[in-house]
Amino acid sequence: MNYINNASLLKRQLIVRFARLMFAGKLKERIDYLPMQQAPRDVAAVRCCVHHDRAVIRYRLIALLGFAIENEKPEDEARSLASYAEEAETLGESRLAGSVLTVIDEACSACIRANYRVTNACRGCVARPCIMNCPKSCISFENGHALIDEKVCISCGICAKVCPYHSIIYQPIPCEEACPVDAITQDERGKEDIDATKCINCGKCLQACPFGAIMERSEIFEILRAITNPAEPTVALIAPSIIGQFNTSLGKLVTALRRLGFDHVAEVAWGADLAAEKETAELIERLEHGQTCMTSSCCPAYVEAVDKHLKTIKPLVSDTLSPMQYTGEWAGRQWPGARRIFIGPCIAKRAEARRSPHIENTLTYEELGSFFIAAGIDVTECEESKADLEASSVGRKFAVSGGVSAAITRAAAAGGHAVTEKVINGLDTKSLATLKAIDKIVKPGTFIEVMSCEGGCINGPGVISNPVVARRFLEKMLEEKQP
Amino acid sequence: MAKKFKITICSGTTCYVLGGAQLMMLADSIPAELKDQVEIVDSNCIKACHFENAQPPFVQINDYLMSQASVAKVVDYLRKHLQEQA
Repeated sequence: MNYINNASLLKRQLIVRFARLMFAGKLKERIDYLPMQQAPRDVAAVRCCVHHDRAVIRYRLIALLGFAIENEKPEDEARSLASYAEEAETLGESRLAGSVLTVIDEACSACIRANYRVTNACRGCVARPCIMNCPKSCISFENGHALIDEKVCISCGICAKVCPYHSIIYQPIPCEEACPVDAITQDERGKEDIDATKCINCGKCLQACPFGAIMERSEIFEILRAITNPAEPTVALIAPSIIGQFNTSLGKLVTALRRLGFDHVAEVAWGADLAAEKETAELIERLEHGQTCMTSSCCPAYVEAVDKHLKTIKPLVSDTLSPMQYTGEWAGRQWPGARRIFIGPCIAKRAEARRSPHIENTLTYEELGSFFIAAGIDVTECEESKADLEASSVGRKFAVSGGVSAAITRAAAAGGHAVTEKVINGLDTKSLATLKAIDKIVKPGTFIEVMSCEGGCINGPGVISNPVVARRFLEKMLEEKQP
Repeated sequence: MAKKFKITICSGTTCYVLGGAQLMMLADSIPAELKDQVEIVDSNCIKACHFENAQPPFVQINDYLMSQASVAKVVDYLRKHLQEQA
């Protein structure tokens, strides 16, 4: 679940500072001062000391510049941030190759080594079943309490089960618990590593880590450069979930995007309308050929999960392109040579966009909001204007869980085909197991919508609004649009 | 009857992005005993962020300007001041 936390607010503040320097054309000159500005000497440190805070901020900036922190060489610790900015310019987008997510070792607290911990509810009883039943003999007795040796413990949980006072608790590692595909694990030092061959870029670990140790490798460097360069044409492709992200109307937001420097604005919900149409036709054709069911293909984290972990159900996944790609394709024909920038809540879209010929860059709402602050643009005070490409309310509903399947089943019904709908709302180990056998579970003639984020895109890792608020806002707006 | 507290939530972009989005949940979190004492207004930028070292998000409660506001901070404030004035 997406909840407000200090780690994400600090990240937004840093993006504001970064963007201000880019707008002023002073990134290389001033970027090395940002850690000091963000964590000044006279303000209480969040971590052990101000120097540790600054070291972490330095790594955040390296990730904001698009680099993978895993690639750091020992001598790079002495490098200036200006030299990274220089390298970002010379290497260009080739530096973005590889995994979208990166772990800041310096921020990862190597939090939990063993999943079981004896609390002070331990009574120091005579029976001591924890000690008697531990298969690794790793529990000792100190100061009247049982104590688990974290280095030896294998987290089997027997001690917690046998404790008569329930004084031994299970503590998860937040990022590992959040990962639906076991792609993030501790190394021998207890620091987390992401296995790119397993990772589906869903971003759940990034949301879960209380230390903000996981960062996405951002493309704000390219994007800020492009929108501040009047000679470079840019298109903002705004995802359906953008409604409700700024507590204001879509029309004001379109003006704000233009003021920020985007030359054109296109609603990706237009591509969603098109995708719904194509997906419906595809579904009917497949069902007529005897296939039992078909799943959606618009969620890139789900598609990557199928490619990496559920290969057997690949034939059931729709071949329809995502709304982002259809809209990008359209924008490419409309404005040849323009840089097409997808603006959304999603991290997996970054990976999808890098594989796609129709999108150049991706930006999250969180980054966009920080750009507005840096540019001094108040979205609520902008006048209304129209996007260059607008959509219907069908496509706009793709942002909320259930919106895709509702669109498809309704379109199928209009064509005289009765289709059952099923929604997989959020990917986790359980829903992945369900998906593995999905064709045996659902009744023939079912369309299955799969969303990696619970609640749909409005609960993505890059959102600003609380998903409850965003959903209310979206529903209100769609009601007004439909007389 | 005039309400005891008029709460103005700043929904300017700076406040909204830097934590103010969560304040949209305030109405759902006002305790039952305070509900009829409180009027919540959603406002455009109240310009509090224009000061040096401003700490958004901002909420104005009657004459008091709260910086780094959160739902919990606002509810605490209301509880405290309701008792004080009673």
